[in-house]
Amino acid sequence: MSGFMLSVQDLVVTYNRHSDGPVLKNVNFQIASEEKVVIVGPNGSGKSTLLKAILGLAPIESGSVKVFGTDVKGVRGDVRVSTNLAEVYRLAYVKAKDVVKIFAELKGGNPDSAFKMFYDFELGQILNKRIHELSTGQQKMFGNILAVSFSPKLVLLDEPFDNVDEGRRRRFIEVLRQLPAEMVVITHEFNLLQRLSDWGLYFMIEGRLWGKFSASLLDRLYITRGEASGSLAVMETSLGKLSVTLDHGDIAVRTATNLNALLEQV
Amino acid sequence: MALITYYTKGILTNRNLWFWGVAFMIFWLVLGAYSFAQGLPRQSNILVPYTASWYGTIALYSLSSLAISIAYSIYYASSSLAYSFRYTKLSPLSYAGTLVGSSSILGAILSIIMLVSTYGLFSTRFGLRLTPSNPIEAILISALAGIFMMTLAMFLVLIAVNYVGLQNINLVTFVPLILAYGFGFSQLTTPLPPALLYASPYNAIQSLLFQAYSGLAPPAQLDNASSSLLQWQYLLASLIIWIIMLFLIDSYLLRKIRPRQVEEGRQI
Repeated sequence: MSGFMLSVQDLVVTYNRHSDGPVLKNVNFQIASEEKVVIVGPNGSGKSTLLKAILGLAPIESGSVKVFGTDVKGVRGDVRVSTNLAEVYRLAYVKAKDVVKIFAELKGGNPDSAFKMFYDFELGQILNKRIHELSTGQQKMFGNILAVSFSPKLVLLDEPFDNVDEGRRRRFIEVLRQLPAEMVVITHEFNLLQRLSDWGLYFMIEGRLWGKFSASLLDRLYITRGEASGSLAVMETSLGKLSVTLDHGDIAVRTATNLNALLEQV
Repeated sequence: MALITYYTKGILTNRNLWFWGVAFMIFWLVLGAYSFAQGLPRQSNILVPYTASWYGTIALYSLSSLAISIAYSIYYASSSLAYSFRYTKLSPLSYAGTLVGSSSILGAILSIIMLVSTYGLFSTRFGLRLTPSNPIEAILISALAGIFMMTLAMFLVLIAVNYVGLQNINLVTFVPLILAYGFGFSQLTTPLPPALLYASPYNAIQSLLFQAYSGLAPPAQLDNASSSLLQWQYLLASLIIWIIMLFLIDSYLLRKIRPRQVEEGRQI
């Protein structure tokens, strides 16, 4: 047992060896007990693939992913891990309420707590629909609520706020903050990070992960072209080397709404 | 377990199954009773095997439509299964067991619909009570046939999902139906060697359902009562061996299931 709840070492993921390069390139990171981190990166940087690799849903070419000390390839029946990925809730072609009941049983939880959360989020009406009949935002909230139900210990959330209205975003962030679980949240939006100031922060660019920073430093972080002295990290990208610096630099991270925009400015 | 209930419910609310597996099959029974039966003498020793051969064949086709629904449900669930085996209490064996329970219920339901439809249509057409000889036996055989269709559908889909890719998944899901039409129609009209009929699970299902409806030993060629007769013990043993063999292979393949994006299969 490594002592970490989640440990990713030298992870390389390639979907198609013949035509594509690796999507993830030697990714390393760990999550300690009750640690919460957010990974931000532009679209296509490999964030979701990282989450899928942790869940055993992406082909690991080399390296390792250990969940609660067990290699993900050998994990069986560990109900402590949850996610909001819609594709994992397609076990049967039934209404949303039945999906909740199925996963409550499979996770050893109580469906009533999940149902209560749907009503708290004013989403009770979606329970009588099938998943494919829900709007994109409703599907996202459906996955979000199932991910935090049934007492998870490690929650992996892929873009949990995409297409979700502002009111529900704020309330769901509070749910995440109060949940006593390790958490990895993936997003491409910066404006949410202000509310997660006590969380760890990673940048993911072109399949590489850079960090860990603290989300509380967001207002003080800058991106600087080249290798700046005293930088917190130097990221090697197709744009050249980019340094993450504190309190000074070319472009303030806080001025961008997301990493796509930031890289465009750089 | 809740999953068996919801899985059965999910398949039963699939409109494609009701159209192709029930309505379309009843249409064939109507043809069998009213169009293909021109000139048949009104004698029960002729009409009972005629009706039973239609029941055996059409119930086989209906059950193979069930295999398509099951195949699609497994293919759509590949990511969910890969996740669930790791991060929920669901195991490959319990999932396969769930499908066994569910497919046997679905097989029995389809069989009852086909039994009632066959009895109603053929009795009305000929003005004779062509009652099934042993309906319970027919339902039990159909439950087994449902399990066979599930194990075959799962085998084909898991081979595609794990090893071949999803480029031809739509064709793969139709293989059980194509085989059913091939084997089913052949036994209806062609003198096939008994060894082939015993080895073929499709013909075993068709012949056993014929026997359950008519109470007569099934002939090797269903529309020729004078062809050699098949023994139900061998037919049943063949069907059970196929189920066990496919179930064991499926359990192994399920453990290795490779998560796939459904978009990979959207070729048509």
